[in-house]
Amino acid sequence: MSTDETPDDKPDLSRREFVKSAGAFTALSAGGAAHELDFTSLWEDDPEHYVGTDYDEYEASDVIHTTCGQCNTFCPIKVRLDDGSAENEEYSSLVRKLAGNPYSFLNTQPFAQVPYSSDFESVATGDLDGTGDIDTDRWSLGGGRICLKGQAGIQTAFDSYRVRKPMKRVGERGSDQWKTISWEQAIEEIVHGDDELGHRGLKEMWDYVPEDQVMADRESLSDAAFQEKYEDKLVDPEIPELGPKANQIVDVGGFRRFLIRARMFQGSLGTINSHHHAGVCGFSSVLGNVRSHGNKKKRQYTDIENTEYLLVWGTNPMVSNKGPTWLAPKITNAIDEGMRMDVVDPRLSKTAEKANTWVPVKPGADGALAMGMARWILEHDRYDGDYLRNPADGAASADDESTFSDATHLVAVEPDPEATPKAKTRAADALGIDGDRAVMDASTGAVVPAEEADAGTLEVDAEIDGTPVKSVFTLYKERVFEHDLEEYAEMAGVEVEMIEEIADEFTSHGKRAAIMQYRGPSMHTNGFYNTRAIATLQHLIGNFDWKGGQITPYAGYGTMGGRYELGNVPDGRTPWGLPITRALHNAEDFEGTRLFPDDEEDPYPAERPWFRLSPQHQVQEIYHSAQDEYPYSINALFLRTYSENHVMAAAGGDQITDALRDEDAIELLVTFDTVIGEMSENADYILPEPTYLERWENFGTYPNKRLADDKISHPAVRVLPETKLSEQVLIDMLKELESATGEEMPGVGDDAIVDKDGETWPLDEPEDFYLKMVANLAFQTKTLDPDLDAIDASKALPPGLDRDSFPYEDGPVPDADDGELQAFREAHENGLGEFFDYEAWKGAVKPEEWRKVVTVLNRGGRFEEPIPNYEQAFEEHGFDYDYAERFDPSNAYVGDKTRYRLDGEVTFFNEIMPVGKDAYDGTPFDPLPKVEDVTHFNGDVLTPVVSDEEPDRPLHLINWKPRTQGMTRTQNSPWLRETRPENPVWMNPADAEERGIENGDPIEIDAGRTSVEGMAMVTNGIRPGVVGTMWGWGRDGDGSVERTIDDTTTDAVDETYGHVPYEFDTPMAEEAGYAKGRGAGFAVNHLAPLDTTTQDVGPSDPVGGAQSQYDTHVEITRRTD
Amino acid sequence: MSTSLPSEEVARARADLYDLLSRIFDGDQSVLVEAMESGAFVEFADVFPEEFDTDALSRQDVDPEGLSVGYDNLFHVPGPYYVPPFASGHVTEPSETFESDSRYHDPGEAGELLGDPAESVAELYEQTNFTPERGEGIPDHVAAEFEFMAVLAAQEAKADQSAAVAENLSELQTAMYEHLEWIDPFADAVGEMDSAEGVYAAVCSFAQSFLAWDRKRLEAATA
Repeated sequence: MSTDETPDDKPDLSRREFVKSAGAFTALSAGGAAHELDFTSLWEDDPEHYVGTDYDEYEASDVIHTTCGQCNTFCPIKVRLDDGSAENEEYSSLVRKLAGNPYSFLNTQPFAQVPYSSDFESVATGDLDGTGDIDTDRWSLGGGRICLKGQAGIQTAFDSYRVRKPMKRVGERGSDQWKTISWEQAIEEIVHGDDELGHRGLKEMWDYVPEDQVMADRESLSDAAFQEKYEDKLVDPEIPELGPKANQIVDVGGFRRFLIRARMFQGSLGTINSHHHAGVCGFSSVLGNVRSHGNKKKRQYTDIENTEYLLVWGTNPMVSNKGPTWLAPKITNAIDEGMRMDVVDPRLSKTAEKANTWVPVKPGADGALAMGMARWILEHDRYDGDYLRNPADGAASADDESTFSDATHLVAVEPDPEATPKAKTRAADALGIDGDRAVMDASTGAVVPAEEADAGTLEVDAEIDGTPVKSVFTLYKERVFEHDLEEYAEMAGVEVEMIEEIADEFTSHGKRAAIMQYRGPSMHTNGFYNTRAIATLQHLIGNFDWKGGQITPYAGYGTMGGRYELGNVPDGRTPWGLPITRALHNAEDFEGTRLFPDDEEDPYPAERPWFRLSPQHQVQEIYHSAQDEYPYSINALFLRTYSENHVMAAAGGDQITDALRDEDAIELLVTFDTVIGEMSENADYILPEPTYLERWENFGTYPNKRLADDKISHPAVRVLPETKLSEQVLIDMLKELESATGEEMPGVGDDAIVDKDGETWPLDEPEDFYLKMVANLAFQTKTLDPDLDAIDASKALPPGLDRDSFPYEDGPVPDADDGELQAFREAHENGLGEFFDYEAWKGAVKPEEWRKVVTVLNRGGRFEEPIPNYEQAFEEHGFDYDYAERFDPSNAYVGDKTRYRLDGEVTFFNEIMPVGKDAYDGTPFDPLPKVEDVTHFNGDVLTPVVSDEEPDRPLHLINWKPRTQGMTRTQNSPWLRETRPENPVWMNPADAEERGIENGDPIEIDAGRTSVEGMAMVTNGIRPGVVGTMWGWGRDGDGSVERTIDDTTTDAVDETYGHVPYEFDTPMAEEAGYAKGRGAGFAVNHLAPLDTTTQDVGPSDPVGGAQSQYDTHVEITRRTD
Repeated sequence: MSTSLPSEEVARARADLYDLLSRIFDGDQSVLVEAMESGAFVEFADVFPEEFDTDALSRQDVDPEGLSVGYDNLFHVPGPYYVPPFASGHVTEPSETFESDSRYHDPGEAGELLGDPAESVAELYEQTNFTPERGEGIPDHVAAEFEFMAVLAAQEAKADQSAAVAENLSELQTAMYEHLEWIDPFADAVGEMDSAEGVYAAVCSFAQSFLAWDRKRLEAATA
């Protein structure tokens, strides 16, 4: 009953009834009496302040050095914790600021880092002598460089939309109804199954048998006996090659691969299916480079400080490709000092803006441009003939080269060397040569083993002792000469003169010219061959390992061995069988099985692509392969979506949702996530993960730097108490599985880790692994051991060194002194509160290791100094001095060469290639670079390069990473969206005018299978006929869009979320506004064409395994609504 | 005729009720179920001037699991039923007293996050040395404010109150009533989202009624 009476009418009656009614609740309430309020400062005003006037002192105990995770550059960073002065009961600590880590050369360009052994407290507080003063030097090493994305990391960690507790879906998959459950319940259900969701749990799903046992039994047992024995142990006893049942447990996650991937999924469970993101990243570029060099080389980077001509090709290092904070200042400073840079890119990127010449190539036609350059270089004898004539190591060394090419190696031309594997080896065999490489000696004309010739003959086309042979160089030249320069120019869409100009420039600087190449040429189905064509240009000038040339130093210290053999899982399982992505096998290997139901002699075409020559990380293929059971469905899928949001990141990723929701395809779907993203919203269980500021990681080093480093991420704060590191969850899960099955899970628990003395250690918590990793890193040493000739030639040995100082050994790291130890302890107690157990951390390593471990943790890893005795030199010269260039040898160079080298062979002709075959028609893969169209799996042309076909629609839509966003995962940051609130579509004025479109107009983008709305940005900074936009936008995860469920429509995240009013230097004088919401813009990958055969996701490069991500053809019209 | 009711007793009862609301919004479903089973919610219908959903709050068949799911989806799990736990975040219609000197707030427009209302309450907490005790690490914004109201009422219930403290308490409560006007749009938002069980929508409307009654009580007392 309600009444119009107010308490004023009958106050005492109302109050009396109230007290009486409330009496029923007394027992249910704490009544608020426990608090003591303090009114002494009530109603006092806060002091006024504006941005820039606050000055905040802090101590070393407020600083933790770790690694940024906002993009894949993984910069070392300095986390400045709140000093405790702010009232905070919610989190273990607040973060005041993120900056670059001044110990790292990656964050201090163009200056020098602080010496590694400097006093930690002075460095942490920015007080070290020689580190600069921001007022007078415009630089200070109190904090290193950090980009805008890195600074916004605070908003990643403190996002209120983070998942706080384990969640289980309530309705159908994807219905977005959840209930929170305990961690115990989550583990219990994942392992033992759950009737409510209808999955069996890992206990029933998992089984493992070793390959040799299975194969022996297949030989010895009858079919019936074999079937009976392995019915529950193999994926399919009819096809034992598919491997153990464990393979139907699939892990997809980009990082922490050393622990999670190698130890847990592979070593413990024995599944072959642990995948990282490569297929939607630069896989074909990596593979194109790998197949062009004998030793490990996945990327093309240059020694920028000394490069005279830099050709940047399809990458944007001012913004991405490990560029911001590191390459960007190097490039701009190098240009300032006279380096010429040209940029090949269909659009005027941030890097192209700084270029001498912008080369707006047609997307996908990069191979034609490279082959055109090669043709000009060959025709004008602009290659380094002396380099190319070195047939092996010995001749190369005598010629002061550290690498040699296969140009002079002989190839058997019958049968067709482009279709038959090992044509170089066959030539040597046929010619009776010792070893597997024959060359024609340039001085004698005799055919000899490559190692025995001082120089080989470049051009050979002969029949020798009845064996027709050609040299690799001849074959390469024939390939290059299949088209003339005009044809290449037309294919590439650039003028002949432009090809001539850049080929001329590229070959005018000796060894000090080099190419930096990545995704642009490679994310097409012809990406592997585009990369090969570009890579081999550098073979022509032999610029490897030279100052100013192509650099390849995977220069790190190593974290997996030394004190503890972390890569060794005692009694670990060995994964085997066919990966779900059908990598490392040819389709024909499975002829006669259910994978070829027609069972005809010719196994082709296969139902879906196979990837014989690339590792198994074609993640774009996983989900629909499970749906098609080609080769099998997934029993349990574990997604660590932090770096693996394939709905957003795969071309045609919008289609992946359907597969994720298919419970026949994926019986159990578990995601580890920080927010509910586009993948997680389809999960059975979402397990809340700490963000990168809260967890461990050892991001691999990368090959674009002249010095060694190894970064260590470790927890700095814990924002949400109930989140758990996925490592911990997996340890708990494996232990429960062990108990449920009685089968040992060797990667975790007791005796899981072996140290250098053979003693075993438990792995019960992530720290048990990661702290030993840090110990390994701390004890590594490096030896600088140049030839004595080089030392004698030096005009400036590092300070305090003489001829007898070499070999010079650096490391292990120094022990942390008492003060540093105390600062470490206090900082981690400040940052992590109850989530830091000093004694437990200390006990994870040996007592004699602990102080060194603290040294490394306090610095966020190890960072090589530019010279020996650096601290002494730094005291004299400070931060603004190029130590690596001023002293010789340095840790970066010895004489004119880089210290860390590629060495070995570079290959024009990869004789292994024909081992692999296209799964549609069985065509062997080509050993040489070539130009070809971008096609669907069945050969239908998607983007013509060599053919005359026309694309379906007139405008070629490309995409790129915005400078304001790291990944899809940073879209939640309001600060970042404020800088660029959506993704407009770049259009050339010629294309815009033809369509009556002006800058800022609303447009409709029709991609055939779908169309979306967007906004036009009319600019001359994009090639006519090409349009493009930034990726990562157009989200529907994280509560970013309005949703209608059961006829109830709910709003998206309020667009004002996370924004705060802010003041500029002139208070109240500047206008600013909110960014658009988290779902702003459109998802460019959701316009991408689907493969015409599989019809479920975009086509992939059959050789390199990368997805075609830049081959959407659209029409654009102006919207009038 | 009965003697006049001591105001301390009323204050204690108010403290109990505010604290109960704090517990409920903090996610203590067992307390909510017990409170519903006691049938006492209905009795307030005769006390409070404004209507609330007595039916939903007197249900005896409520499923604690369903209530838990409902709570999680309303206040924990980002998604279609989620009501953001931030001051003013849910405001889609301005309240009359919603004022902000922020340049990003136009009169008549929606409220803002972490704007003046949230900041002023945070200041009150800081100035009075109040720290929310509930919340398992992250206090629920709604639960915290009701906890604060409970503490103010409990303080008021102490017999030996000085005049200055009594005045401070009165001023603080007045400030909080103004701030708590967000309960109206909040209740609307919860009402819209809580389509499954409806219990939390009813709790919100109950809280609305209680606050309106309590505010008028104070206004009458200080008039």
